[in-house]
Amino acid sequence: MIVSVSGGKGGTGKSTVAVNLAILLAEGRKLVMADLDVEDPNDHILLGVSLEEERPVNIMLPFIRYDDCIKCGECGRVCDTGAMLISPDGLPYVIPRLCSGCRACFFVCPTKAIVEGERTIGYTYHTVVERGSRFDLVTGMLREGEEHTPPAVLAARERAFSLPGDLYLVDTSAGTSNSVATAMDGSRLVIAVTEPTPLGLHDLELILRLTQKMGIETWVVMNRSGLGSEERHEEVVRRYGSEIVARIPYSRRIVESYVKGEPIVLLHPDSEEAQVFRELASMVEGVI
Amino acid sequence: MLEMAIASGKGGVGKSTVSATIAITLARRRKVIAVDADADAPNMHLILGLSEEWEWEQPYSESMVARIVTEKCTRCGECMTVCPYKAIYVDEEGNYVVNPVICEGCETCSLVCPVKGAIVRDETLSGMLRMTRTRYGFPLISAKLEPGRPNSGKLVTEEKTKAKEMTDDDTVIVVDSAAGIGCQVVSSLAGANMAILVAEPTPASFNALKRVHKLTKHFMQPAAVVINKWDMNPDLAAEIEAYARENNLDMLGKVPFDDSIPKSMAMMVPVTEAFPDSPASKALLEVARRVEAILDEWSSWFMRFRPKKPEPYRPIIIKPEGF
Repeated sequence: MIVSVSGGKGGTGKSTVAVNLAILLAEGRKLVMADLDVEDPNDHILLGVSLEEERPVNIMLPFIRYDDCIKCGECGRVCDTGAMLISPDGLPYVIPRLCSGCRACFFVCPTKAIVEGERTIGYTYHTVVERGSRFDLVTGMLREGEEHTPPAVLAARERAFSLPGDLYLVDTSAGTSNSVATAMDGSRLVIAVTEPTPLGLHDLELILRLTQKMGIETWVVMNRSGLGSEERHEEVVRRYGSEIVARIPYSRRIVESYVKGEPIVLLHPDSEEAQVFRELASMVEGVI
Repeated sequence: MLEMAIASGKGGVGKSTVSATIAITLARRRKVIAVDADADAPNMHLILGLSEEWEWEQPYSESMVARIVTEKCTRCGECMTVCPYKAIYVDEEGNYVVNPVICEGCETCSLVCPVKGAIVRDETLSGMLRMTRTRYGFPLISAKLEPGRPNSGKLVTEEKTKAKEMTDDDTVIVVDSAAGIGCQVVSSLAGANMAILVAEPTPASFNALKRVHKLTKHFMQPAAVVINKWDMNPDLAAEIEAYARENNLDMLGKVPFDDSIPKSMAMMVPVTEAFPDSPASKALLEVARRVEAILDEWSSWFMRFRPKKPEPYRPIIIKPEGF
């Protein structure tokens, strides 16, 4: 079973919620956590562990056998990222940085003049986490300078799912793009983390629209509760048939845990904040 | 014309607040255009106290979505095998279906499909491009991505093109970029004359700052740093300052942790207007004044903080045999 943590806006506390949940849920089962925020993965930082077992994420990069090229220009026509440049003399040239590795050029070429090479766009990692409980963490990381996130998200996702587990906890990136959809695909439940500001509200509605399109049950967690009005959030959440299932208070202890990089359920296991996470974890257990 | 991009790598550390303060302050003496380049989660209009009413708004279509025509499909499964995004699945009835919130419309499936016309591609709405005037005398160009569409650097480039159409020689374009380091951020930084990097004193934000700093080096851009909520962790704030010094990044200022910022967000009024005397507002205004000073002595600042040696992006390529 897959459970995803998302939320639309950046910095609302997705990773904080995800790591605290992971620690609690791993107490009773075999948990695999997947950090699919490949542009800015930081679950390992919040957990205080290092990234291990690096593997490259390679995508196809076309090479052209010019002897076989008949200058038909088909490869340039099907390339939708502008990576296949057709020169004035009719010969194609590849701009590696722009290539998404989709292989459309490879399939369209009538003379098989395109040969498959590869380009490394990022890495995946696997760390065994022993923080309170024990679980696997798989992290996807895009290389700086690379722009296309979905292949890195997919690679990390597949590596996580290849590990034995009975619960896969996915942490997505901010936003609502198809990278986020790819990360959440197949989830039984999405936990959308928001904050009581108009910005949080605006982006919460976007993520609720996305999960509605995908037909995934969504729960909302209000982080920094008490900071501002939650009335409009309640309204929007109701409209999408969802519910605010937990409220994490805005407190000195939370800020301290955040700054120290020590999950609150470990730093202050008896605090009311930790209690909120425990209740949320048991609700997730209820779904499982 | 001068273009500055505000980036941070990590989300929610204060990019839009810093961008808004800079735009408002600069607009008192200069022509300014603000660009909200976070089409995934556009928030700058909310910080500036604007509703969703735009002076103009136009649909932006760039991406295609594949669709499998069930009646023609022979269920051979070739499309599912080659789809680079794993966007094709088999539904309960055994039909092959494209997931429209994942598909990028790359045409690969239609090229391998043995049946003519069994996979078609439909043009789809990627998002909206819009513009409005703010009461601070500058226009805001914003974009909103349709949920589930590919993150679009092209949409950001389109926003910047719109901005440039409205500018003249002495206009300053303030680009509030998205979180992360992906295509939206690359397109925000590309062509900018300088970058302002915002960080919080947390290990996660510091790490993200280093990642986005690598991009500004790729672009040979001079960059400056703002530390937000610095007093949350003065030791780490000092480490970030040291990093800035060692890497020839200008230090623009440190903004203290202050409830006036979230309070002003709730009011949808820029913090410098809602609580002008709060410690955060004062620090933000000081940052904006530093930016003004940079513009006043642009060439010398540029020469001083421009990366000394080029560190271009180099792809890691694995050649096939015989190449």
